[in-house]
Amino acid sequence: MAQQQTSVTYPTREAVDFVIVGSGAAGGVIAKELSVAGFSVVVLEQGPHLKASDFKHDEWSYDYNGGLIWGSKQGHPQTFRKAADQPTRPAEAALGYAHNVGGSSVHFSGNFWRFRPIDFKEASVRGTISGTNFADWPITYDELEPYYTKVDWEVGVSGLQGPWDPPRTRPYPCEPMPIKGSDVLLERAGKKLGLNPYPAPVAILSQPHNGRPACIHCGFCNGFGCEVNAKSSSMATMIPLALASGYCELRTGCTVSRVSTRADGKADEVVYWDAEGEEHAQRAKAVVLCANGAETPRLLLLSASAQHPQGLGNSSGFVGQNLMFNGYTSVVGLFPEPVNAYKSIPATRVIHDYYELDKNLGFYGGGGIDGRHYARGTPLNSALMSGMFGGPKWGADYKRSLEQEFTHTAAFDGHTTSLPLATNTVTLDPTLKDKWGRPALRCTYMDHPDDLATMKFFFDKTNELMEAAGAIRQAGSYPENGQEGNVHLLGTCRMGNDPANSVVDKYHRSHDVPNLFICDGSSLVTSGRGQPTMTIMALAFRAADHMIQSARRGEI
Amino acid sequence: MTNAELNRRAFLRAGGDAMKASCIALSFPAVLTACGRARQAQLAGDDFTSLSADEAREYDAIAARIIPSDDTPGAREAGAVYFIDNVISDAFERQRQALRSGLADLQANTSNLYGKAQFADLSPVQQDSLLTQSEGTEFFATIRFLVIAAMFSLPEYGGNKDKLGWQLIGFEDRHAWAQPYGFYDSDYLEKGE
Repeated sequence: MAQQQTSVTYPTREAVDFVIVGSGAAGGVIAKELSVAGFSVVVLEQGPHLKASDFKHDEWSYDYNGGLIWGSKQGHPQTFRKAADQPTRPAEAALGYAHNVGGSSVHFSGNFWRFRPIDFKEASVRGTISGTNFADWPITYDELEPYYTKVDWEVGVSGLQGPWDPPRTRPYPCEPMPIKGSDVLLERAGKKLGLNPYPAPVAILSQPHNGRPACIHCGFCNGFGCEVNAKSSSMATMIPLALASGYCELRTGCTVSRVSTRADGKADEVVYWDAEGEEHAQRAKAVVLCANGAETPRLLLLSASAQHPQGLGNSSGFVGQNLMFNGYTSVVGLFPEPVNAYKSIPATRVIHDYYELDKNLGFYGGGGIDGRHYARGTPLNSALMSGMFGGPKWGADYKRSLEQEFTHTAAFDGHTTSLPLATNTVTLDPTLKDKWGRPALRCTYMDHPDDLATMKFFFDKTNELMEAAGAIRQAGSYPENGQEGNVHLLGTCRMGNDPANSVVDKYHRSHDVPNLFICDGSSLVTSGRGQPTMTIMALAFRAADHMIQSARRGEI
Repeated sequence: MTNAELNRRAFLRAGGDAMKASCIALSFPAVLTACGRARQAQLAGDDFTSLSADEAREYDAIAARIIPSDDTPGAREAGAVYFIDNVISDAFERQRQALRSGLADLQANTSNLYGKAQFADLSPVQQDSLLTQSEGTEFFATIRFLVIAAMFSLPEYGGNKDKLGWQLIGFEDRHAWAQPYGFYDSDYLEKGE
């Protein structure tokens, strides 16, 4: 695939058709769709354009030195508190996301579940939940399905239709990934308990597709960039096509400070600093924010003006609210023979029998279970957790644990729902600043009691599964006192039909600013079951489709 | 599972707290530069970048108790102290200060309890006893983290010499794998489910 660099340069003082902030799961897709359709596009990305040849199996850099996810050392501090009346503390990447072309689609696990029809109408079917903003989406599964299929084929997904998977108009383009030992254990245990494990859908190629090669099963997916371009990130799949169109200019190292509006209230330019710190402003007919569920609301809040005193596009007050992380649980089992779950992709089987928990349990929730390595299969993270079955954490006995646990364990993980709450937010820290002098991101988050009950349910189920799998020893955890950070940043500029309780309409157009579009994790109305990236990409294809139609009608 | 609660708590302690308690957080480009230096120094048998010979001897002795050498090589053979030297050379002054004062406390205990100036001069049993006493301290958490980080990071960073750490845990450093990955998937293709 062409790795051509920027093929066109646009002057900042002439309005391009679209300026897109962010090049991740959503921004990459929209950049490709708009530019291939012949619209002039400028993409502003704060990170560098790393490519497959730049990536290494370098845990020390990526996990401990901000190689992909920047922190305070790179000038991007954050703060965290559990509630508005709780103390705020400095936090490293409580709102975690990558700073590079392709965003977090570069280093994510590749797990790629579609949402199901129920996800879009659950509040109607299941009933609303008092004290929450749990609501139906303004679109249905059927409206999104063609775009899920577009993602399958254009971006590249491996899988096999499962027993309760939502209907699809085309099969997966790539066959499922080969099963790992950890998932053989999960599958056999699941069947013993009467469940229905099936091949996990992943955005990793099991066979060559669209000019990219198949996965070589090196094991460094989650937290790492793919060294052979087998992971279907927007960096590997969409950005090259956008650049090859001749209509897309990708500007890296560019940090956006605000979106400016004209007297008529429409957006007219995006102000940013380049890598050298020089300020520029790119004029555009329309502005598209794809900066993720943390950066997008911050940018809107930073763009407050006399016309938009609460922040741009925020007449509802919903900008930054309803942050949803998804819950997670993990149970690790020790087995007599080598599992070697560190090899190949994170997960090759899922169990979706608990997608919707019985209402009679007394709480709302649902999720999925997959088999994995307990620490993403990376040596350092794994070693730090060794001794997990109650052994010492240093010395000769710790060394015995090290010898055993890395290779002889499997983890069964739960991935669960989060409810949208007005109190879980991304806001501007009132005192702390980042390297550009912008207010730092402040995260306020406490899981709803139903979210914690759901995690407890999955924790118990995965313990049962681990027992059925024949584990000699078991250990595990879930954040029973509430999460203090996550990499799923969902719901903070939700879509909806009512401008009073949503930020964008069903086509991702701001209710308040007619030439401002917002599409990324922030658009999600509900959290799904813990794997949001497929839906973010499908929404992006759909949003781009409507932007193209609007632009052709002269309505941007 | 009878010990579920106990195990879960042990598990919770194991992962995150190691990092939270550590006072070291590093900047990536500086580490790479510094690590290149440390590796060259190690190969050439040169002095350390930031540690004095006495400090290096002490950290090496601590590392050798965190992951001891027995029938297989430990942190000493893997050169953990070179990694630590490199990290400290890149740390903030307040972090270096915290480590210096932590080491001074350990040496004060060494002197008070055993009448020797250097931790490295104690017997392994005495060393383990002192380290057990310091288990709750930030100093111990930091050194433990650094020794483990040394042992299991890329060998280029100086502390996983000859991939000794990876050999210890059974991590085979290969770029590509094919089934079967381990025991449990070895008969899957024949037997299926």
